Amino acid sequence: MSERVLQILIQAFPKILIPCIKVTIPLTICSFILGLILALFLAIVQIANIRGLKQFARFYIWIFRGTPLLVQLFIVFFGLPSLGIMLDAFPSAVIAFSLNLAAYNAEVIRSAILAVPAGQTEAALMVGLSYPQLMAKIVLPQAGRIAFPPLFNSLIGLTKDTSLASSITLIEMFSVAQQVAARYYEPFALYCEAAVIYLLICTLLTWLQATVEKKLTWVKPVETEEENAQNITD
Amino acid sequence: MLEVKNLHKSFDKNEVLRGVDFKVEKGEVIAVLGSSGSGKTTLLRCISFLEKSDQGEIIFDDFRKEITKVTNKEIRGLRMKMGFVFQGYHLFRNKTALENVMIGQTVARKIPSTEAKATALQMLEKVGMLNRANYYPDQLSGGQQQRVAIARAMATNPEVILFDEPTSALDPELTGEVLDVMKKLAKEGTTMVVVTHEMGFAQEVANHVVYMEGGIVVEEGTSKEIFTNPKDERTRRFLRRTLSDYDYSI
Ligand SMILES: Nc1ncnc2c1ncn2[C@@H]1O[C@H](COP(=O)(O)OP(=O)(O)OP(=O)(O)O)[C@@H](O)[C@H]1O
Ligand SMILES: [Mg+2]
Repeated sequence: MSERVLQILIQAFPKILIPCIKVTIPLTICSFILGLILALFLAIVQIANIRGLKQFARFYIWIFRGTPLLVQLFIVFFGLPSLGIMLDAFPSAVIAFSLNLAAYNAEVIRSAILAVPAGQTEAALMVGLSYPQLMAKIVLPQAGRIAFPPLFNSLIGLTKDTSLASSITLIEMFSVAQQVAARYYEPFALYCEAAVIYLLICTLLTWLQATVEKKLTWVKPVETEEENAQNITD
Repeated sequence: MLEVKNLHKSFDKNEVLRGVDFKVEKGEVIAVLGSSGSGKTTLLRCISFLEKSDQGEIIFDDFRKEITKVTNKEIRGLRMKMGFVFQGYHLFRNKTALENVMIGQTVARKIPSTEAKATALQMLEKVGMLNRANYYPDQLSGGQQQRVAIARAMATNPEVILFDEPTSALDPELTGEVLDVMKKLAKEGTTMVVVTHEMGFAQEVANHVVYMEGGIVVEEGTSKEIFTNPKDERTRRFLRRTLSDYDYSI
């Protein structure tokens, strides 16, 4: 690698990193949390079989899984103004990403809830718990454990998908990389640099996932080998 | 105390309960016998509203109503007075043994946690699981899990506990430890309805025996009547078959 390219990469690094921290990461977090809340709602109304809302959830999921994310972004940012709804690029992106993600994560959460053995729900009813109580105390904690890896999957996917927001004029990490690449005529090196930063974030997330997953087991830590042996034998 | 009259239940076209009359008095231990598919599980599940009945009447203390017309609120009230022990234990996997036994008191009945804990520990002691109070279900053997499940059912001080083949998912060595706990409860005067294939238990512990076949109660009587002098030919045939198995298995 030439000296010049190295210089450019070093100079460009903070330029790309700043919008990453200021825009890409907040965009990811906001969209993910809002999308998760909506997904939980869409999943629960289906499981609880609430008439009207259940049909709405199926319809919603059909629409948002069946149309491209990029098109959804364009509809929110370029399309809504013609209906008199003008939004800045950042809120537009949050809306489009969270609405889209909710459709996918609703299915993840719904299947995770269904994966909690129905016998536990019946046992909970028989000790006198109400439906909301048993959902909160028994079913959702276990569904959360089951849904955790696929939800993290979608978080990692979202982190990278936020680059699509560059197409609706949002100044985020990828659009800055594009500007810098155009200015220095070094697209290969600079796009690779941007890719590496995405990769670093996702590596961090992967590590976080593994760490949290280890903690999410319902097993009493066994202190000594002796105790362990005893647990198994008796 | 608890009674259902003329209970009917079909799954699609399959009529599983065809007018069952069933009654439990306080302090009784009732064994429900019958071959596979005779509707024993369905009967317990209809009584506890885990299954919607098609027709019948339910009477529980001074509550009396057409079973299809009982509201959700009333169902919850009736369940508060029952306990249920499942064939598959169904302990809450995200809770320790102690928490499993406490939750019906703390969450469902809003009993203060210190009081609930004292009761729960007492129940765990009764089933011999005190030393495993802080273990999660995955760390317990089947027999241990079922004993915790029994403690869970007792902790809310129900008027009657319904057992659906509590030992049939267990290895023979583990069956004994669960049956011993149930014998102890029976001696203490706990009202119990036990669906079982354990003839020894039915003979020894139950004071009342109900024999079901084809979705109806064919015969019932005291344990002695049924085992020494069954009147109905179907009961006789069933006992001949199962008791000979039982003798061989010893
Ligand atoms: N959820 C269900 N859907 C459809 N059919 C069912 C359902 N549950 C039970 N049945 C049918 O009802 C009949 C009675 O079942 P039930 O489980 O009450 O029998 P059981 O007497 O408990 O038998 P076992 O001794 O094998 O447990 C069976 O023919 C079974 O196939
Ligand atoms: Mg059964």
